[in-house]
Amino acid sequence: MDIQFGLETEIGITRDDPEGMDVVAESIALVRSATVPGVRSRWDYQQEDPHQDARGFRVNALRQDTDEANYFAQDLSRPLSFAEIKSDLALRNGARFYNDHAHPEYCTPECSSLRELIEQDDAGDQLLMACAQSINATTENPVRLYKNNTDFRGHSYGCHENYLLARSLPWQVLADGIQAFLVTRQIFCGAGKYGWEDEDHFLQPGFQIAQRSDFFTELQSVDTMQRRPLVNTRDEPHANPQLYRRFHVIIGDANLSPYATYLKVGTTAMVLRALQNGCPSERIPRLADPIASLKSISRDREWKWRVRTGGGRTTTAIEIQRQYLTVVREYAPLETAEGEELLQAWEEILVDLDQNPLKTADRLDWTAKFKLLEGFRESEGLQPEDPWLRSLDLAYHALDRENGLFFGLMDQGAFRLPFANPRVRNAELRPPQTTRAAIRGGCIERFGPKVKSAQWDAVVLAGESTEVEVDLRDVFERSMVEKALVVLASSQIPEDLLVLPFAKAFPQREIP
Amino acid sequence: MPETIERPRPPAPPSGGGSDGPREPKVEKPNTEDLLNRMRKVDPDQAKRYRQRTGE
Repeated sequence: MDIQFGLETEIGITRDDPEGMDVVAESIALVRSATVPGVRSRWDYQQEDPHQDARGFRVNALRQDTDEANYFAQDLSRPLSFAEIKSDLALRNGARFYNDHAHPEYCTPECSSLRELIEQDDAGDQLLMACAQSINATTENPVRLYKNNTDFRGHSYGCHENYLLARSLPWQVLADGIQAFLVTRQIFCGAGKYGWEDEDHFLQPGFQIAQRSDFFTELQSVDTMQRRPLVNTRDEPHANPQLYRRFHVIIGDANLSPYATYLKVGTTAMVLRALQNGCPSERIPRLADPIASLKSISRDREWKWRVRTGGGRTTTAIEIQRQYLTVVREYAPLETAEGEELLQAWEEILVDLDQNPLKTADRLDWTAKFKLLEGFRESEGLQPEDPWLRSLDLAYHALDRENGLFFGLMDQGAFRLPFANPRVRNAELRPPQTTRAAIRGGCIERFGPKVKSAQWDAVVLAGESTEVEVDLRDVFERSMVEKALVVLASSQIPEDLLVLPFAKAFPQREIP
Repeated sequence: MPETIERPRPPAPPSGGGSDGPREPKVEKPNTEDLLNRMRKVDPDQAKRYRQRTGE
């Protein structure tokens, strides 16, 4: 088994005139405006438990539980059920699109290659933009979407990454081995931000290279909304818990540049692979104070990114990344051309960041944003603390082909792409054919109205005489997926899927 | 004599081999004025009005 991965991105939502706007209602309306193929309100919430901790225990409460309870109380006044508020749409490409608290969230299907991931992430952007266009066709107060991570007031929302790993990799080896990597990778996957924040408030104007680094105060914990941890210990594998773990990374920025996403997910997967392959702990870089380094790297205006190692030596984020690259070359042997190209891209970006960070503006969000906005600031004679810069920062992230600044650059060919023609036409919305997402998506496409429930690791279908559960908890080998797709292609009724070793029949139950 | 048909030629492979890896950008000179106009249209107070709930 190789590492599979996916992204879950919460989107900022507002209106041109936000006076009196209810962000929850806006998010619900946006998700409900989707017309792409999928099944609505069939997500199975009973299988979700964010309280289980990878360190081997279950917490009684999360820090956000109080906030959640307050939001839940507020939502009780809405004439909508819990499922209606979530408005979950399980899509034909195996993705999930729903209202998460107060943000539209798009979760890519599971992907086994970076090309698949870039395509599926792009499909999400297109879906969101199509929803906004549909709403905006009938209003004079248009909805605006931002693929970013902050409102500059200390309210952050995430772009999480998920990596499927073997359970045999001990948690502490993983947690210790990945820390210095997650702290330093922001030099190439930060999205850039004009402002410094703290949890719940704005601190001061000023540029930094990452959007999320202001919001992390703990090394490890199960929380995700308050006192966020560098290493999230949520143990919710969405797979056979005896064999797999899902490493849930919450520290990343939402990237617009496909190349930045390519580097972010690709390099992280490679480091995880090296750890999984038994890279000795003494070969892994350590930081004296990872949380302090996280902020100091992000806010360093000299872009030297000096850090202190666990041994008390001063080094740089670039050198830390080079050490990881070395152990990856040694402990994660390459099996594909895609892997070698990724390592070359990683090496090249470190060289360029070392020589002249702005040379990377054709690949990285933070340098592209800085170069663009600083050029504008100079041409308009703005002071570095001018609040207009925050509005322009926001505009960089706008999911708006006509007005968004990222898309302005992209459409002019200012960005390198990690792959030729990465775009997936949204109308097709097909899942990756290499992972269990293809089975989930195939069930949705073939048996849409008969889908009784869907989750990452199971789809339940109403058959002619029985209920058919397609249990995906162990379906990670490509050969299993391929066989299942052959069966799906010729199936007429859900019971036809019972020839699959991971499909089971149950007596019919009422849909709750 | 049989009629000869001029068939369209297949597109040339991209330079640097057939790999799908990272590529050099297409060299198109950015239209700076268009971007500047796009930026000038951004409401300076947009971020001041932007308020979200904390997410994950």
